[in-house]
Amino acid sequence: MTGVRSYHWPPVLPVLALVLMPFLPFVNTTGLWLGLPRMMVWGAFWCLMFTPALLLSERLMRGREEEP
Amino acid sequence: MILTFTLAGIVLIGVLGFVGRRKPVADLAEWTVGGRRFGALTMWFLQAGEVFTTFTFLGMAGLAFSGGVAAMYALPYVPIAYVVLFFLAKRLWTLGKERGYLTQGDFLEDRYSSRALGTLSAVLGVVFVLPYLQLQITGLGLIVRLVTGDSASGTLSMVTGSVLVVAFVLWAGLRGVAATSYFKDGIMLVALVVLIIAVPTHFAGGIGGVFHKIEQLHPEKLIVHSGANDHVWFVTSMLVSAIGVGLMTLPHSWPALMSARDPKVLRRNYTWMPVYELSLLLPMIIGFAAIVVVPKGSDPNGVLLTLSKDALPGWVTGVVVVAATATAMVPAAGILIGISSLVARNIVRVRSGRKQFWINHGTVVLASTLALVLGIFRPDLLANLLLLTYSGSVQLAPANLLGFLRRVPVGKGPVFAGLIAGELVVIWLTFVDTHFAGTVNVGLIGLGVNVVVLGLAVVVDRFVVSASAKEAA
Repeated sequence: MTGVRSYHWPPVLPVLALVLMPFLPFVNTTGLWLGLPRMMVWGAFWCLMFTPALLLSERLMRGREEEP
Repeated sequence: MILTFTLAGIVLIGVLGFVGRRKPVADLAEWTVGGRRFGALTMWFLQAGEVFTTFTFLGMAGLAFSGGVAAMYALPYVPIAYVVLFFLAKRLWTLGKERGYLTQGDFLEDRYSSRALGTLSAVLGVVFVLPYLQLQITGLGLIVRLVTGDSASGTLSMVTGSVLVVAFVLWAGLRGVAATSYFKDGIMLVALVVLIIAVPTHFAGGIGGVFHKIEQLHPEKLIVHSGANDHVWFVTSMLVSAIGVGLMTLPHSWPALMSARDPKVLRRNYTWMPVYELSLLLPMIIGFAAIVVVPKGSDPNGVLLTLSKDALPGWVTGVVVVAATATAMVPAAGILIGISSLVARNIVRVRSGRKQFWINHGTVVLASTLALVLGIFRPDLLANLLLLTYSGSVQLAPANLLGFLRRVPVGKGPVFAGLIAGELVVIWLTFVDTHFAGTVNVGLIGLGVNVVVLGLAVVVDRFVVSASAKEAA
């Protein structure tokens, strides 16, 4: 394990979006998106974003020809 | 008819567990981690098996029924933990393979050169996870009791399910868990898809109808608001669970991870598993449907099966019940392997490999009997300890994290001090001063104290060492 590298960054945004979910006023409110609660749509979207983020991390790792 | 269907399902799961291995083995490593040869598909179902338990099936629906969108805290913590594990996988797997780890106790004992730390972590692991085993067994009984309305049938199912789990775990070890995991996830997804179509359509004309009714009648269920499940509860519960899973503090997660053929298999699964995690939303939507149908104050854990019985024909409910029993039996098998390997490797220490193997198998029988007997006669006894499963286990996170580093930067003393302080704080806040923490997860407070004490102990440790070095000079 080493310090923070470029391949650590891609999943940071989805993690923040999910941890801060109840504090975002346009997410934690009544009203529906696509007929579903806003928190549910927001949570599902950012969970799905982990896959492309980690695929990018994998690519960056290979690009540096090193692994942590 | 439902009881017959359920018992047939329980027997089928047991038979599938036996199919996992053709002949029994007498080697603990082969039994516990399947010779470290599992490929991507098997690993996928093994890892999913740890996540999709009776809590997922019945508890998620119950949480949405009682707390609305506060239940959403349970969706992101596993994917967040997988991000951590994605970056740790290679290090962890390589260490495990090179040093022959089977358990968390093996890892801590080796990294800190301390048998005492290995033993303490193993004892804590058993104490915190045994209630989780009981939860699966009592969950099985609850499922059958709810659909048949007969408590004797519930007890019969608990006994049958436990005996079969013990039998196939003794025979096949982790390979038995893997074999049953395929069936469990397959039937669980079929049941959830049937439920997600049938229940909202039957009661509200579709999923959209459910949420439009909730928006009109119970808008407070669409937001996280002040009360027991407020913003602070949401975020701290999510963080504690994510840290616990991501830093491998739950003992039953070790055999599954160590069984992978190579770290690439693990990374691929951690990348794609968040997509699969979205199936957690299905029982949650059933829970929302229950808000508009089931009277307030009903047992939250029973709402999924209650709606299923009302909306579906008897035989389809039977399929749902078999799926629910599978979500109890398969994780119970994985937990048993986690507990028994800790006892055999890190608590009862014998030199002979053969004796170690028999101690392991004896523990499988003893732990499941204890969980079953207490589940039938004293269901509340271990239920109190269940409060400590996550908040207590997560106190091992600093020790694990520092142990993952190439050179462990602290000695065993500070780790011991932090761990003991963290556990004492968690026990105090859970059982003595239950109001002090408010809605903050007590595991996080314990973790804060744990880290501070660990840091102070490191400073003291270094001061004492440098003072004695000066004295010697």
